[in-house]
Amino acid sequence: MASSRVAVVGSKQVKPILSANKTEAKRRVLNLYKAWYRHLPYMGLLKDLQLQSRVTWLSFVLNTVKDFDIAVTVPETKVKLRELFLKNKHVTDIRAIDLLVIKGQMDLVETMRIWKQKTHVMMFFKDTNIKKPTEFLTRFYEGHD
Amino acid sequence: MLRLWPLSRVLKARHAWSLAARCSSTAVPEKIEVFVDDKRVLVEPGTTVLQACAEAGVEIPRFCYHDRLSVAGNCRMCLVEVERSPKPIASCAMPVMKGMKVKTDSPMTKKAREGVMEFLLMNHPLDCPICDQGGECDLQDQSMAFGSDRSRFTDMTFTGKRAVEDKNVGPLIKTIMTRCIHCTRCIRFASEVAGVDDLGTTGRGGDMQVGTYVEKMFKSELSGNIIDLCPVGALTSKPYAFTARPWETRKTESVDVMDAVGSNIIVSTRTNEVLRILPRLNEEINEEWISDKTRFAYDGLKRQRLTNPFVKDDKGNLVQAKWEEALTLAAEKLVSVPGEQIAAVAGGLVDAESLVCLKDLLNSLNSDGLCTEEIFPMDGAGTDLRSNYLLNTKIMGVEEADLVLLVGTNPRYEAPLFNARIRKCWVHNDLEVAVVGPKMDLTYEYQDLGDLAEVLQQIANGKHPFNEKLGKAKRPMVVVGSSALQRPDRGAIHKAVTTIAQNARVKSGCGEDWRVLNVLHRVASQVAALDLGYKAGVEYIRQNPPKVLYLLGADEGAITREDLPKDCFVIYQGHHGDRGAQMADVIFPGAAYTEKDATYVNTEGRAQLTHVAVTAPVLAREDWKIIRALSEVAGSPLPYEKLQEVRDRLAEVSPNLTRYGDAENANYFKQAQELTSLVKGNLTSTPFRPPQLNLKDFFMTNSISRASQTMAKCVHAVLESEKKEKLS
Repeated sequence: MASSRVAVVGSKQVKPILSANKTEAKRRVLNLYKAWYRHLPYMGLLKDLQLQSRVTWLSFVLNTVKDFDIAVTVPETKVKLRELFLKNKHVTDIRAIDLLVIKGQMDLVETMRIWKQKTHVMMFFKDTNIKKPTEFLTRFYEGHD
Repeated sequence: MLRLWPLSRVLKARHAWSLAARCSSTAVPEKIEVFVDDKRVLVEPGTTVLQACAEAGVEIPRFCYHDRLSVAGNCRMCLVEVERSPKPIASCAMPVMKGMKVKTDSPMTKKAREGVMEFLLMNHPLDCPICDQGGECDLQDQSMAFGSDRSRFTDMTFTGKRAVEDKNVGPLIKTIMTRCIHCTRCIRFASEVAGVDDLGTTGRGGDMQVGTYVEKMFKSELSGNIIDLCPVGALTSKPYAFTARPWETRKTESVDVMDAVGSNIIVSTRTNEVLRILPRLNEEINEEWISDKTRFAYDGLKRQRLTNPFVKDDKGNLVQAKWEEALTLAAEKLVSVPGEQIAAVAGGLVDAESLVCLKDLLNSLNSDGLCTEEIFPMDGAGTDLRSNYLLNTKIMGVEEADLVLLVGTNPRYEAPLFNARIRKCWVHNDLEVAVVGPKMDLTYEYQDLGDLAEVLQQIANGKHPFNEKLGKAKRPMVVVGSSALQRPDRGAIHKAVTTIAQNARVKSGCGEDWRVLNVLHRVASQVAALDLGYKAGVEYIRQNPPKVLYLLGADEGAITREDLPKDCFVIYQGHHGDRGAQMADVIFPGAAYTEKDATYVNTEGRAQLTHVAVTAPVLAREDWKIIRALSEVAGSPLPYEKLQEVRDRLAEVSPNLTRYGDAENANYFKQAQELTSLVKGNLTSTPFRPPQLNLKDFFMTNSISRASQTMAKCVHAVLESEKKEKLS
């Protein structure tokens, strides 16, 4: 069992969450990445109408259903997936990596089972959020804060 | 009406005698043991059964009894059973006796209450759904708690319930006299607290009516308080009629800025609108009363408001602009002239935060031309010593005083609650009052020393007959009105008053703790401005005509276009389109006192906070933020961005400005008096004439009350009633 083993983090020896060493952690990350990657085509709706009809036809042929009616193309989701994974590339602590993997796994399950709703999926694409101004003058012009 | 206090004044000598006798006989009167529902309490002898019950934690229902009024004992709601007494007794009027056993929950008590309720409701209309008191009605609440659950009232012959004609007592108070339960609280308030003996009863028994006998206006500056006092809906607010229910409104604790007293208030709001203003208890300032201006001027907050920045165009018309434009234009002008040619005037409703921001901004631009609109003598120690411009004795201090000398002030209209406190002490503590000023109706008797300034000189030199009385006083107070200190000979007046106060202080032997000299201000911003180091009065600006003038809520017309050079650029920041906005080249819309978290310092030097009750209209912004934004556009941003940082800055300049609720004591009276020897000039022979002498002068004194329709109606009503009095 994982708990009986010992993970080496720096010079400290701590109880591992899942992975005992870096290789194992890396494998888990890659597995999660692949699982997400395979699920991406089922997630979104294509923006391009022509493409969309083709895909609908394709999905009909392949007997697949689009889970969410969102205006994101598959290549876009792939870019986002890569971006979200690379966001944590600085993490070296094995236990932190494990936690991130667990969270990613949960997110994936929630997406696949359609426990998430459209807005929750769109939360990955936060580009549309208008950031609140932090500068005094801009805040002043914007009004009541 | 039975009133005991005039008698007590007549028998003052005897009273003093008995006091002496009491002091010599026993040291401390023993406490009396009373049992309330078998719970033992020890109370002072002379307390009433009702107070003893309150001590034991039992609240007795009441209608006519009120803490701050004399005991009437006519509603009978407070009946309780006392062991070995054949009948239930009225607990509000009965003093406790040794070993008394009070039963507040016995069948007899309950039956008595139920009976009283039944009688009251028999003569009370069932119009709760359309009654403005609904939801805050004592009768409603108590009939639910203590009344019977069924009615025996059957109007077999359809004669109808008792009906009483409504009275017209002015534009503030709506009367629906059918609802009156004859508790006489309003009558007692009028004659005891307000000192206007207009209200009374006529008729007896079922025909009894409360009113003014002949139709006339209830002419008092405190009249609105009878609305709060009325336990039923007989007296309600006319401007607030049919507006809202109390459970729909949001209440925000705040502070009043209509005068320099700083009464504590509650602002009731709904849908971002101020619906009414009610008093908040503060024993040190306003007890539980507020003046009519405080209570009813709120409709001025919705009228004449500046909601948009304005910029003057080529034709000389003010046109709406964006904040960016207005700020840029103002900043360009500020930067383009040397610092000595920039000046600022702060008006009467400005808060301490924006005052400190403006001072920091102008100082950073190398200007020191910061003035207040209100004049105050700057000779001698001037405003360097805080004791020179505060109400040092404090409002509470009147209760300990035995002699008050009022100089050139009419506190009744300049600070109604201070006047109410003087009257309270005149009634209860045998306080004596003397006045140097014109003949006025202050609601209490006073010794008239004439209105000439020479009188002051005579008293200061010890050559006036009044000196004898002043010398005998143990705790004297000298109160000088801010209007008296705005005459051309203000330095000499301040000198004379300081000398009188210092002499009285030495003579009375009251010690260092008792402060004699008091200045009664009229506007809410003055003390904070002087604490922050503003120059008092606009003399500096007249002598050094500026190229850019910043008016911060200055609406009283102390500086007009005629006083300024032709090319002077005027920036106005404030909340009302009043005199200041008229002469401006750029207008910044600010927030009124109900729309900002702000610090105001009252005439005692007590810092208090207002809170945001509603948001500022349209593009208006909180005042300190406007100045902060302007500083950034001008290229030298002030080193604070958050309210807390501004307050830290306030504390840095003057720590008392952020010690909320405390009135910081000021000292160095002797030194201040010695420094008055530097004052040049003598008293002139002009008589004292405070600007507010009549009730009609009271209502419209600042930009908010000038914009208020209710206040205009009040002025009109007073004029009409005076006309009527002249005819009759």
